[in-house]
Parts: sequence; structure tokens; C-alpha cells
Amino acid sequence: MIRLYHVSKSYGSAQVLHDVTFRLSKGEFAYLTGASGAGKSTLLKLLYGAEAPSSGKLLVGGVDASKLGPARLPLLRRNLGVIFQDFKLIPNRTVFDNVGLALEVIGAERREISRRVNAVLNVVGLGGKGERRPLDLSGGEQQRVAIARAIVNDPAVLLADEPTGNLDGAMAVEVMEILLSINLRGTTVLIATHDNGLMERFPHRRLRLNAGRLSE
Amino acid sequence: MSATLGHILRRAARSLWENLSLNAVASGVIAAALLLGGAFWGAMSTLNDAVEVWEKDVHLSAYFASGVDEERQRAVLAEVQAMPEVEAVTWVTAADARGYLEERVPDIQPILVELGEAAVPASLEITLRARYIGDETLADFVTRLHRAEFEELDYGKEWVERLTAFLGLLKALGAALGTLLVMAAVFLVGNTMHLVTYARRAELETMKLVGATLQFIAAPFLIEGAVQGLVGALLAIGALSGLKVVLLGRVQELVPLGQAPLADGSLGLTTVLGLLIVGVLLGVVGCGSAVLRFWRQAP
Repeated sequence: MIRLYHVSKSYGSAQVLHDVTFRLSKGEFAYLTGASGAGKSTLLKLLYGAEAPSSGKLLVGGVDASKLGPARLPLLRRNLGVIFQDFKLIPNRTVFDNVGLALEVIGAERREISRRVNAVLNVVGLGGKGERRPLDLSGGEQQRVAIARAIVNDPAVLLADEPTGNLDGAMAVEVMEILLSINLRGTTVLIATHDNGLMERFPHRRLRLNAGRLSE
Repeated sequence: MSATLGHILRRAARSLWENLSLNAVASGVIAAALLLGGAFWGAMSTLNDAVEVWEKDVHLSAYFASGVDEERQRAVLAEVQAMPEVEAVTWVTAADARGYLEERVPDIQPILVELGEAAVPASLEITLRARYIGDETLADFVTRLHRAEFEELDYGKEWVERLTAFLGLLKALGAALGTLLVMAAVFLVGNTMHLVTYARRAELETMKLVGATLQFIAAPFLIEGAVQGLVGALLAIGALSGLKVVLLGRVQELVPLGQAPLADGSLGLTTVLGLLIVGVLLGVVGCGSAVLRFWRQAP
């Protein structure tokens, strides 16, 4: 589902990723781990097309993400769910609208949006909170809104950048259980995290980044 | 599945409502640009009309030499009337001229008696067609008009030269100022739209990150731009109408403007339509370029 061949990324003279190669199969669950500044977020950005690799080849769901032009970029992102570290929720829109945005951009009918958003809000435990604004919610609830938006269109791949970074222990476990349940439905999940406790509690394959170099 | 027109219109309407103050600022800037441009255009049109009136005032007086009898004068009158440059000719006999002078200056009779008949000659008062009032064409006409029967041709050469020079300067100045004004308006509106888009960058960035296409993001913005432009144009039309009522009457008291374009109590259909079209275009182009700039910069 995800394949990287000798991918490198540099910003000017600073090389952030060095010759990264790995493969993640359909339905697999993996952690991308490493210290702050190791290149985790950069690698995720390459996967959802926010950055282009300096060299190498990168396939996501069969699409060569390293060669996507601006016109085809939305097509890649519609097949991905991304949970951003800073959530990227629109503060003046309701929870319902924020989650529905992922369906709105693909032109889904209003009735279909309503049905699927309400269903996914129940999955993440936010049933009944659709009309609230993100800033009226706790950090954990905002995180769950971001998860709901990432999974509402049943993506083949789910990428999460430090999804538990802002949460306390119990809330982090809840979020992990949601992500695992999504994975059980066949979605490939890659989580960037440096939370060792969580990785020990929910053991899965680990991709370790150290100063931009990948090891397992 | 594709986003329907209704879908786009709903998003545009919601966005207009949710960003009322930003949209008001954008409309205000468009209105200011149009007001400035409209006022400039109005002033130029009014000046052009005034110049046309002045142009029509250019005429020639051809004074007959003494000894040219009335029969010959009549023959010359017919020749002059047949010239293509001539709009109208009035034949003023020596008696008519003397009578006119005596009527205007009652004490002049003794002087005229002393000077004799030659003091007030007969003349032809010639009005030219407007298209022939140019520096070179007028000189050419005067050359062809010249006859032994005329003692003097008086056509205000200096005045015509000054008028032609003034017209040239006015047109050059108008073109330069107009170009500057259009550039300033586009710059002002473009930057305002950029700020409006910048204020909503988080929303737009999120849309792009979840897979929105440029068309999906831009379509409601273009509709918003059109609405902003329309509102701006309506504001400018209202302000220009007000300015016309307040200023034009006073200006016309000072200068003989003739039929000015704003003098009939309305801006005129062409002006109103022009302002509406330019306003909508400014809004759409401003919003479109701002969204495009954002699209290229966003991750």
C-alpha cells in the first residue's frame, strides 16, 4: 500500500531524510518512531504530498506521489486520511461541518454527508456533539474530531502525526483503540509517535528514524 | 460525483454571511476604486464636451474690400457656401454691420460719418464643420478661401492653435492618469483580496489538505468576488450620483459645459452598466488571483 524506494529529502544544504526505503502492506499497522527532528513529520508530508522528495520514488496506494502535479494531488489526498498534529480544524465551523468537509470536497450529497458524519461521530464517541464548535471541546475531543474527519471517507491509508501527543494517558489509550479498530476494518495505518509507553502497550511493527535514516 | 451549482452557491452564501466584515471591506475598496475612476471619467467626459462646445465657436470673418458690389458679394457667398468645410455662412452687408454697431454703441455715428463707408465693411461670417477645425486643415481652408474680393480674413488663428495644443495635452494627460488609476485600482483590490484570503488561510489550507481541488476552493470565492464587486459598484454609483448633484450644477455655473454626460439627473445606462461590469470583474479577478496565489503556496 505504501512503498518508498531510496527516498531522500533535503532543504537547501540540510538533509532531513537519507535514502529511506520501506514497504507497508494493505491492512498493516505500523509506528514511525524517532526523536524530535528525526524526520517523522517530513516523511508523512511526503506521503500526503505536502512536500516532494529530493530523490527516490514513493508510491501510495499505487500512485507515484513523487511525481504528482498540483491537479492530481487532490486525487491522492482523497484516498488518504491524515490526522495532523495540530488537528487543523476550522474553528468557525461546527464539528459536523469539519468532519463533513472531507466528503464535501468529493461532491457527496448532503443526505449522504449527514448519514456518514453522524455514523463516524458515534464511532469516535462524539455522538450528539455535531453542532459544537471545535474550540468548545477539550483537547481529546478535538483530536477525535480530527480522527473522524480522517476516516469519514473510508480511506485506504490512514496517516497520523503524533495523534496522542497532546493527550493524557487515558485519553491516549482511547484514541489508540479507535485507530486500532479502524485498522481492523482493513485500513493501512502509519502512526508517527515517540510515545514508547503506548508502543509497548499496543505492540506493532516499528520503523525507526534516526537523523533521517530508517531502521527496523 | 461532482459539486453541483447549488452546492457551490450554498457555500458562497454561507461564506459571504460568515465573513461579512471582510466582504464589506473588499466591497468598500472596490467602491473607492470605482468612485475614483468614475469621477475621473466623468471629469474627462465633461471636459471633452466643453471642448466640443468651444470648437463649435471657432468661425471666420471674411471682410470684403471696398468697391466690391453686392452682386459680386452674393456670388462669393455662393462660392463659400459650396465649400465642404463650411457649416454655415451669414452675409453681413455694410448697412447691416453699421446698423448693428449703431444699435450697440449709440454715440458712434459721428465717428462713422467721419471715417466714411470703408470703416464698416461688409463681411461673411463663416462657421466651420467640427471635423475641419484642426491646425492644418484650417490653414488649408484659409488659403483656398483667399480671394481678391476680401480685404481681410480674421479667424482667431492663435485661439485655434492654443485649443489644438490644449486638446492634445488633455488627451495625453487623460491617458496617463487613466492608466495610473487603473493600475492603482487593480493593485488595491488585488491586495485587499489577498488579505481577505490570508485571513481565511487556515480554512483554505485544511480544504486543500483533505483533497479539495482548486475549482472546489475557487468557485465560491469567485462568486463572493462577483458579489463584492456588485455591491462595490452599487455603492460607487450611489456616491457618483450624489457627487453629480452636488458638484456639477456648480461647475456648470462657472464654465459653459454644454451637454455634459451627467447633466440630465442620472449617470446614464452606459455608465451604470460599465461600472457594474468593471466592479464585478475587479471582484472576480481580485478573488481569483488571490486564491490562485494561496493555492500555489499552501502545502
